[in-house]
Amino acid sequence: MAKKSEAKELTIEEAFDAVDEKIKALESEDVSLEDSFNLFKEGMDLLKHCNDSIDKVEKKVQKIMEDGRMEDFE
Amino acid sequence: MHNVYTVGQINNYIKNMFRQDFLLSSLTVKGEISNCKYHSSGHIYFTLKDGAGAIACVMFRGSRERGLKFQLQEGQQVQVTGSVDVYERDGKYQLYASSIVLDGAGALFERYEKLKKELEERGMFAPEYKQEIPKYIRTLGVVTAPTGAAVRDIINIATRRNPYVQIILYPAIVQGDEAKASIVKGIRTLSEQNVDVIIVGRGGGSIEDLWAFNEEVVAEAIFNCPVPIISAVGHETDTTIADYVADLRAPTPSAAAELAVYEMDLLLQDINDYQNILCRRIEEKISKLKIKSANDRRLLEHLSPQARIREKKMRAAASYEKLEMLMLDKIKGKRHQLDVDIQRLKALSPLEKLNSGFSYVSDENGKNIRKIEQVKEGDKLDIYVSDGIIQSVCLGTSGRNER
Repeated sequence: MAKKSEAKELTIEEAFDAVDEKIKALESEDVSLEDSFNLFKEGMDLLKHCNDSIDKVEKKVQKIMEDGRMEDFE
Repeated sequence: MHNVYTVGQINNYIKNMFRQDFLLSSLTVKGEISNCKYHSSGHIYFTLKDGAGAIACVMFRGSRERGLKFQLQEGQQVQVTGSVDVYERDGKYQLYASSIVLDGAGALFERYEKLKKELEERGMFAPEYKQEIPKYIRTLGVVTAPTGAAVRDIINIATRRNPYVQIILYPAIVQGDEAKASIVKGIRTLSEQNVDVIIVGRGGGSIEDLWAFNEEVVAEAIFNCPVPIISAVGHETDTTIADYVADLRAPTPSAAAELAVYEMDLLLQDINDYQNILCRRIEEKISKLKIKSANDRRLLEHLSPQARIREKKMRAAASYEKLEMLMLDKIKGKRHQLDVDIQRLKALSPLEKLNSGFSYVSDENGKNIRKIEQVKEGDKLDIYVSDGIIQSVCLGTSGRNER
């Protein structure tokens, strides 16, 4: 499996899928402790990426004109 | 001269005239409904009128099942298909309806069916062309009228679920002649803005009001749009061509907003849950390994060379003790033997003999004299007694028996 270390490129959905994989791997019996720690860290990094990628600024509804101009709606 | 006829005769005559008329036996009349009465017998009586006049109509109960798909109401524009015949009892003619459709709807419905079939044959409704609606979007495009309930519902629900999603509205004309071009333009404009999802729709209305969403150009714009589109036209019961072409059909504009915009609280909850799961898994892993390591340690200790060394040492110590004991016994035995020997030796010692009165005789050279022939007269002899030596000279010898 090619490992996407660059979490920055992932969408939130992909990141969740990747976390699922890490969890599944963590649950398997024959993974070493060192690998477990790596999996754990990668999972946490992915979740941090999810959290960081949420742009927590409230948006005003925009209205776009035929010519592409935008203005606040309302 | 004229004949005199009865009422019955004349009415019958007229009825026959109507019956023989080809046009009157099957025709469609359009007009507005008035004086509509659903009779308890199941028949429907109404008047069809327009600016020029009126005609009495009846639809018998038996025709309703096949010929009428909606509730007749005052003021509706309809097309009534049937025959015109005479009602002899009242001496009046009326239109006997076999089917009634809303005016305009009939023709529109036909167009709708034709286009739907055509687009379906072109594969435009095929599931393999449906784009997936991304779950976590940042921007939402909306093509709908800037006034009315639909846009309000979409904005309210979207911002309630997630105030961080940017909504871009293209204020479109959604009914009338300009609607189709406006909707197409809206889809193109928003797809150029790289929004993540577009909702195209409007609130409920008559089939004519919704008609723009049954236009081929609108269907093509939706089909060709690179951005996934959710359609939301009218109410749940209205299905337009746009709904078939769209990547996802929402029954109403509110539902479209719910399908397009994820709930921020749920996402944060999900992230939190995942973190908890990860922590729990790693803790479980560690505690499992701790238990395993404790077990292994016990096992190893049991098998370790140290344990074996200890065991050997104990054996060695036991052997040593045993050996020592044996050795001491042996020494004791020998020592005893030695004492016995000493006593025995003592008894045999020449000194002891001297002590008990015997003497030892040697010649000048220290040689022991045992027999008389070893000496002759004049030889010097040393006689050893208990306290010293007597130097003496032999005076002669005689055998034991000679004495």
